[in-house]
Amino acid sequence: MPEPSGQPKAKVLLRSGEWALLAAIVIAVILTALVDANHSYWFRPLESLRDIARNTALLGIFALGATVVIIAGGIDLSAGSMIALSGTVAAATMVALAPAAMLGFKPVGPVIVAVACLASLLVGFLVGTLHAWLITAVRLPPFIATLATLVGLRSFARALCESTTAAFTPTKSALINVSDPLFKAVRDNVWIPVAVFGLLAFATWLILTRTVLGRHVHALGGNEQAARLAGIRTENVKWFAYCFGAMTAALAGLFYVANESVAAPVNQGRGHELNAIAAAVVGGCSLTGGVGTVPGTVLGAIFLRVVIDAVSKIIKTGADVYEGLIVGIVVVIAVTFSQVGQLAQGGRRLLPGPLGLCAIPTLALLCGAVVAMTANGPAGLASGLAALVFLAVVRAWESRGARAPRPS
Amino acid sequence: MTATRFFALLGAIVVLCGCAKSDPQSAPGAAADAGMKRFVFVTNGDDPFWDACNAGLVEGAKRCGLEAQGLRVVMEKNNGTAQGQIEKLRQFGSQSDIAGVAISVIQADNVAIVEEMKSLAAKGVKVITVDGDVNRNTFRDARPFYIGTDNVVGGRLLGAAAKAILAARGKTNGSYVQFAGFTDNDNARARMNGFKETLGTAYTEVDRMSDEMDLAKARDNVRTALVNHPDLTALVGIWAYNAPAIAEVVQERGVRDRLTVVTFDAQAAAIERMAAGQIDAMVVQNPFEMGIRTVRLLTAMHTGDEATIAEMFPHRTAPEGDLHTTGLRLIVPDTDARVQPTDIEMQGFEYLPLTKFRAWLASYGLSSS
Amino acid sequence: MTTGAGDLAIAMRGISKRFPGVVALADVTLEVGRGELRAICGENGAGKSTLMKILSGVYQPDDGVLEVDGREVAFADTRAAERAGIAIIHQELALVEDLTVAANVFLGRERRTAAGLIDDRTMEAECRRLLALLECQVDPRARTGGLRVGDQQLVEIAKALSLDARILVMDEPTSALTETESVRLERIIARLRERGTTILYISHKMDEVFRLADRITVLRDGRHVRTVDRAATTPAEVTGWMVGREIAGHEFHRAAARGPRLLEIRELTLPWPAHPRGYRLANVSLDLHAGEILGVAGLMGAGRTELLETIFGAGEPTWTGSMRLRGEPVRFTHPAEARAAGIAMVTEDRKRLGLFPDLDVAANVSLCSLREATRGGLLDRRREEALVAGPIRDTGVKTPGPHAAITGLSGGNQQKCIIGRWLLTKPAILLLDDPTRGIDVGAKAELYQLIDRLCREGLGVILTSSELPELLTLADRIVVLAEGRLTAEFTRAEATEQRIMHAATGG
Repeated sequence: MPEPSGQPKAKVLLRSGEWALLAAIVIAVILTALVDANHSYWFRPLESLRDIARNTALLGIFALGATVVIIAGGIDLSAGSMIALSGTVAAATMVALAPAAMLGFKPVGPVIVAVACLASLLVGFLVGTLHAWLITAVRLPPFIATLATLVGLRSFARALCESTTAAFTPTKSALINVSDPLFKAVRDNVWIPVAVFGLLAFATWLILTRTVLGRHVHALGGNEQAARLAGIRTENVKWFAYCFGAMTAALAGLFYVANESVAAPVNQGRGHELNAIAAAVVGGCSLTGGVGTVPGTVLGAIFLRVVIDAVSKIIKTGADVYEGLIVGIVVVIAVTFSQVGQLAQGGRRLLPGPLGLCAIPTLALLCGAVVAMTANGPAGLASGLAALVFLAVVRAWESRGARAPRPS
Repeated sequence: MTATRFFALLGAIVVLCGCAKSDPQSAPGAAADAGMKRFVFVTNGDDPFWDACNAGLVEGAKRCGLEAQGLRVVMEKNNGTAQGQIEKLRQFGSQSDIAGVAISVIQADNVAIVEEMKSLAAKGVKVITVDGDVNRNTFRDARPFYIGTDNVVGGRLLGAAAKAILAARGKTNGSYVQFAGFTDNDNARARMNGFKETLGTAYTEVDRMSDEMDLAKARDNVRTALVNHPDLTALVGIWAYNAPAIAEVVQERGVRDRLTVVTFDAQAAAIERMAAGQIDAMVVQNPFEMGIRTVRLLTAMHTGDEATIAEMFPHRTAPEGDLHTTGLRLIVPDTDARVQPTDIEMQGFEYLPLTKFRAWLASYGLSSS
Repeated sequence: MTTGAGDLAIAMRGISKRFPGVVALADVTLEVGRGELRAICGENGAGKSTLMKILSGVYQPDDGVLEVDGREVAFADTRAAERAGIAIIHQELALVEDLTVAANVFLGRERRTAAGLIDDRTMEAECRRLLALLECQVDPRARTGGLRVGDQQLVEIAKALSLDARILVMDEPTSALTETESVRLERIIARLRERGTTILYISHKMDEVFRLADRITVLRDGRHVRTVDRAATTPAEVTGWMVGREIAGHEFHRAAARGPRLLEIRELTLPWPAHPRGYRLANVSLDLHAGEILGVAGLMGAGRTELLETIFGAGEPTWTGSMRLRGEPVRFTHPAEARAAGIAMVTEDRKRLGLFPDLDVAANVSLCSLREATRGGLLDRRREEALVAGPIRDTGVKTPGPHAAITGLSGGNQQKCIIGRWLLTKPAILLLDDPTRGIDVGAKAELYQLIDRLCREGLGVILTSSELPELLTLADRIVVLAEGRLTAEFTRAEATEQRIMHAATGG
């Protein structure tokens, strides 16, 4: 959250932002409990809590990785593909070491499972190293380097899946089923991923706020040149950040496989890196680097999952059609909300000039269309007109302040 | 807030989740008087095939008088991934107004989907599979009943038709490619295996190409196949949208005269293509009828109507007694149909020229099947 | 020169401007006669730039009235101010580096052909004419980013001329110019005055002000303090009004005994393949002893920063020659190595290269010495505060507390924080690259005393500066760089401004 210059240390402001986010979460939960016709939160609270907690943990694990990368001034677009790759590596390892058991849906034994998980994490480390090398030695911008791995890793995972199944099983396959009881236990017991997430969040917070390395991460993101000139080995700090990002994504990949009982690199985790970045940004990270906290990201992840669950509960059938739209709107509102104060004080206008004029019908149309689709036609028309009037009033109010005597 | 307070909060949530680990059985009483109940039909993806099924659901709702019983039926379209179906099933678990779920399972061997189905059933929700089943060998107990086409028979039927058409064109051997959305989906597998089995060893199956329900990819697969195997004799479309994809590309490449095109299902576009002479035979399911029977079965299960259930599943204890098949039809062009009913040594299907089929569709207000 | 009300080019009355958390201007009145050259003086933060930005349409005043040529005006944007004949040349040049000179001069007012397309030929011809007026040899088709700063500034002036501005505002125009370029600028200003242009000249360089100005206006803390005729005052009086107290010039006497030799550089050559000259530094040799300040003089582009960066291991690793630290040969490839060896560098341009805007004062100061603030492997807040309390006190940083935002401090205090950061590393050698740039007079004096004291305590200091008086005040010895070569070395007794300038211009 950007702070106006000249104010005392940001700690106070960040805290207020996190409280606001917590309040937003509570409001969303209460709203859903009331508006939902089934009042599911009231009658079956533990189940909803369990589902939200599971999804938050899965998202949060690699959102923490995204947070560290963003604070270090970088960006990682490949987390979703890393999830697919890590799941595939684990499943492929198990197939290679115990093909009969995997095909027959029998347990493969804890040793092989451990080897498979370690292999996944190792691959995460290697991918992180690759990113850091591309960015520091080859000097690719992080956006480009991780964009390349976004498409490359998933393709690599698919090739790995097909070649492993072709080599060790009768047929080539685009996915590998995983039914080992250890994975099943993770799927059944929500507290396992939540506990892992909690521990990881604590460890990340400790590293970022209480270690020298963490301080260097903040310095790197805040001003890379100054960090180097202060004697910080910036290449090593970046190496840490990108490895952390990739390894958390690898860990998340293991949980994804447990959750879905299958490693399916074609679509697993596709697009999820954006959810992680959204959680970090809603929680207060700045994409220019140097700013961000672990509690903020955790709250951001919870907030996103609560909103998504609210959409499912309220809209019931066909909710996933609207999910993206609502999450997009909510993210924009959440990040803008923190800037409203600055807008009001700074005298900057929300709807300036011809651009602002065109934005009014655009926003009104969007509002009306969404309401018309979710509720009914007349309500959509009414809300669209209401939005139009509201925005016109805002613009008129802004212009009134700036009117000045014209030179004769 | 200080970080310490924050982590205390996080710890509390972990503990709470531990308490929620066992699925609480909802008291039947609490659920029963929650107002309008829903039957939900979960598809595997987003294909016009399901629109015909939806029309069937609506018709079935009318015939069974659902509204009077405080019930309604809705269709939820999945996004083509297993995760999507798992999430939907979990959501149903936490909502109290679901009376029954019919699902076309997207991955036959996916344990997570099976577990979610079982946990729903344990809560008193009636769960059946329609059109796409779980792997019956390993997960038979996931659901009591399956409604749908016998996809193996469907594959065999198409294979027999293809054999006859190829013979009529003077061919006795050659190679072919099969195109589907996912090659590890139960109904896709069954059809492809049935087709291969009937067509026989004289013809080689060169490849099975999957497009993950991406229409652009479906076309690209056909193009790739034509380029990689220049001397193919036949192209086989397994899922509904593969038919127009194949027909389009074949026409684009101008190779219609040396290829035999046989497909499953009758999307509106595929019907047009057959009318234009670009498809040799279609084996058509009856999603409309599937929809009607789904509603009938779920209502019977919900109200405890054993008579209806026994009528639909007369031999419940038999090995195949949990399967209820809806009919198959073989559609051929009006003119130049190279296959006749007598060419096929199978029972239990309807042979229809295109015009008659279209008339049937029109009578129910459908555009596809 | 008295002016009647009818002769006023500009009248700003009762102008006030507020920004979030700070009052930039409070009830300021300024009246400038036609054709006058008014110098506006004040420390950083006094409000000079804000006042000029209001005049040129960048900001709108919260209160007050603005009159141009006797008529009341309100500028909604810079375009309106330009139409009224006002042009401003900002301290931070507002040029687009990737465009040509001609494109920059006509930016936003491009000439079009009859067909509606951009007419480069006409613009380039016009640009050439304007640049000739300004004694500038630059090709209008050249890429602006590749020009020297002095030439870039002339491009800005050409832009103002093309607007036919009758009122020209110049904000610290010579801060980035060489001596020759400054002299050239003064000639151009004289020519502009002959045409009747009214000029507002913001500067804190008293010698310039007293050479050029007709009248002098002093602002302090957003308020108008005094306006006087130049002839009726002295530099010391003006500086006194600027800071609110008189500053006496300081003479630093240092005990003659200097310590052992710390640094020995011989034949240092830094190649520069992209440039026709071929090198940034050529055969530079110098010594540094403990307890002495070595000043490095030179024009912009002479290689002063490159020299310091090479010593610190922050520059290109392609240099040849030898460098010995306390007799041992060294070659640093990364600032971390230099730091470990006891060398510290305070870079130029602290905002870009020195500060961490998202971290607080304590974090900025402790950054190079974090290991000492840990307990059990983790950073400890109390130890960190104790660690930074020393440097903050010793350098005299004025801050609300150790956890204040560093961006809230004034430039001088920020610079002290950075110096404090490096002092914590207990260096033997301190490299200072133009440390008092952009710092007001009062803070500058404090920095001089700090540097002097550090030197007495045994540090060896290499100091670069563009202000010769500063070097003459502080340094024990001065070396001069010109175009990458070391052309002269003087002791303090031998050094004069003329001699240094002569060596710096290569003569």
